[in-house]
Amino acid sequence: MIDLVSDPWPLVYVGITLGVTALLAYVAKLLIWGMMRQSNPQITIAAQRLGVSIVWLVGGVVAVQELGVSIDVLLLVIGLLGVATIVALRQPLENFGAKYFADVYTPFKLGDTVRVGEHEGRVIEINAMSTVLLSKGDALVSLPNSAFLRQPVVNLTPQAWKEVVVPITLPGTMDLAAFENTMHRAIARMRVRLDRRYPPIFTVKSRTAQSTDLLLTVMVRRPEDRDPVLAEVNLRLTEAMEKAPASASRAASGASAVDPGH
Amino acid sequence: MHSVDSRWGHDAGTAAEPREEDRDLFSDPEAATLATTAVPAEGRMNAVSVLINTQTPLLQFPRAPRGRHAMWEVESNFSRLVEGEDYRFSPGGVSRMVYPLARRMLTEGVWSDVHWVSLNSHGPEMVRLPGGITLHNVTIQPEHLGGYGKAKEAIWSTVHGLNSPRSSRDLFWTDDYGEYTYYNRVTAELIRELDLAHDFDLFYIHDFQQLPIGQMLGTIKPKLFRWHIPFDSRKIPAQWRPLISTYLNSYDVVVVSSERYRGALRRFGHRGPVRRMYPCIDPAEYKRAGPDDIGAVTTKFGIGPNDTVVLVVARMDPAKAQDRVIGAVARLLPRFPRLRLVLVGNGSFTSASSGLGIPKSRTWRRHLEETAASRGVHDRVVFTGHVSQSELESLYERCAFTVLPSVREGFGLVVVESWLYHKPTVVSVRAGIADLVTDGENGLLFDPDRPRALDRQMLRLLRDSGPLSRKLGEAGHQTARLCTLDAAVRDEVRLSGELGEN
Repeated sequence: MIDLVSDPWPLVYVGITLGVTALLAYVAKLLIWGMMRQSNPQITIAAQRLGVSIVWLVGGVVAVQELGVSIDVLLLVIGLLGVATIVALRQPLENFGAKYFADVYTPFKLGDTVRVGEHEGRVIEINAMSTVLLSKGDALVSLPNSAFLRQPVVNLTPQAWKEVVVPITLPGTMDLAAFENTMHRAIARMRVRLDRRYPPIFTVKSRTAQSTDLLLTVMVRRPEDRDPVLAEVNLRLTEAMEKAPASASRAASGASAVDPGH
Repeated sequence: MHSVDSRWGHDAGTAAEPREEDRDLFSDPEAATLATTAVPAEGRMNAVSVLINTQTPLLQFPRAPRGRHAMWEVESNFSRLVEGEDYRFSPGGVSRMVYPLARRMLTEGVWSDVHWVSLNSHGPEMVRLPGGITLHNVTIQPEHLGGYGKAKEAIWSTVHGLNSPRSSRDLFWTDDYGEYTYYNRVTAELIRELDLAHDFDLFYIHDFQQLPIGQMLGTIKPKLFRWHIPFDSRKIPAQWRPLISTYLNSYDVVVVSSERYRGALRRFGHRGPVRRMYPCIDPAEYKRAGPDDIGAVTTKFGIGPNDTVVLVVARMDPAKAQDRVIGAVARLLPRFPRLRLVLVGNGSFTSASSGLGIPKSRTWRRHLEETAASRGVHDRVVFTGHVSQSELESLYERCAFTVLPSVREGFGLVVVESWLYHKPTVVSVRAGIADLVTDGENGLLFDPDRPRALDRQMLRLLRDSGPLSRKLGEAGHQTARLCTLDAAVRDEVRLSGELGEN
């Protein structure tokens, strides 16, 4: 361990290291955002978080090393903890991760009829660990989410191919009405590739003070339109999220507007 | 128009012995029985907290009062506001029916409190009325308001058959429709915040302007949608059907005003619960007009003592088709030179400067004036514009009969008003209330699409020396009982019970 009182320079180096780390984290965030503009914003945000975490982890380790602390043991402990966590929670993590990706990439939703392996039924619940089907015989079939990534999923719902469902997570401070308005205009410009009987519809799935989870549903005209429409919608989503103002509606403007009670 | 206090039932005059002309039009023993049995005991046991949502606000605010801006910004204490200066009640329409109903549900203990959200860009954020009703005004910026107004007018005109389904099939892809969803989302967000604060038991959403609210709220609490305009699936473009179905299915119950609309909803493919409930008026709001009142109103509008007055009470709107009555009067005038057509009403919230500011009522009135002039009957047609409640009562007393000429009409409560005064009425078969009319028994029916059909029915009444008019008026007065506040309260309690059981 070094004497920081007689030699404060290591502290200065730590400060510089953390500053450079913050800058690199910001650059990494922008780079990932730019590279993934046509990906679903939810995946982009997750990738950003992962990238920024890695930058900070490396920066933190370098900073600790500047203070003269041996990082060999620290790295060993972090590594062992990581391995132990993965081994102990392999199955739940797999299901949890599968749910995360299934939300974005698996083409079924609540109410659809699907076949997975030997199981077939109507999707009546999708939770963090499993997806529950109601079979024709009224039996409940609970399938781990990972099963939907490991084996082919057949969506038997008529014209299921038409439906493009895009999950969106907005910051809780964002003006939902303005965001929806912007997206409506953007999607209306794509209508040549969309089924005009189904204008875009936003469904709020859940919300907290921090975030709002939405589903955007549009219907394509032809099966080959799915991919370009999805890419275009993701691009517009990314732009709308960059532009959308913070909530200025009365509903979010303060408690006085909603009268806490008589 | 009644004063605020009398609307609230605190009129100082109520303690004194009422004059003959002040008596309620249903102040007979049978009506008293109706009133006391309106709400069954079980309806009062679990009072529910209700969120009402309408586009048109109960109170319209033309401007912020001088010197009171600070209070105006956030909340207004109702007792400090002056009717006619700071605000006015929205005449007619949904709010005229919903307000007495809400008051009655509160006083009967069926509802515990009411929060009422509506569009009101000029109003304060919140107004607390005495008795448990709190008004919340939604404000949206002018750049959104214009598009919203155009989209909702396009929907309204299409549903009323004034636009061809083909011409408006792509409406839902326009920027104007984006503003329509914007307004609804802002409203839904406010309702959601209010629900967090008040934990409502029931969401009572009124009329097509608010249709997306049920889907936008996303709550699993009971949501009731009341469709006040006509529902004719043939008038709805095929491209609109999936979205309208999605929105309708987001409600636990859809209420319509007529049996024919219920059937049309089924044919449309709606599988959810649908109830038919007649709109209502509160007979206690209507008084008998005395000779002095009638004299004053005839003088004001230049109606001669021997004139045969045909009364049309409707806002200035092409769907109300006042032009067809002007045409009929022009054709009948040679045989009945004392015929006098009185057109009561001006614009709605849509046309008002305190509302959406769409000039359709001015345009329609100009068209009617030109029509009357071109037919040479301009001196036999009176345009009264908006009239006070007492003037309206006097005109009902004074008229020979009333006409509801609408090419499409959700219901037609003005017919019930006419019946309150024992007046015969000629009703378009395209109005929801035509379900309650049997031709020659309690009214006369005509098809507005058939030339001269209105002339023939008006002729029957003009030739009548009394018996037919009396018969129609008396039978109509009995029919009106189906559309009173008492009847509506019973329906609401029954519906609340059903929602609670489901």
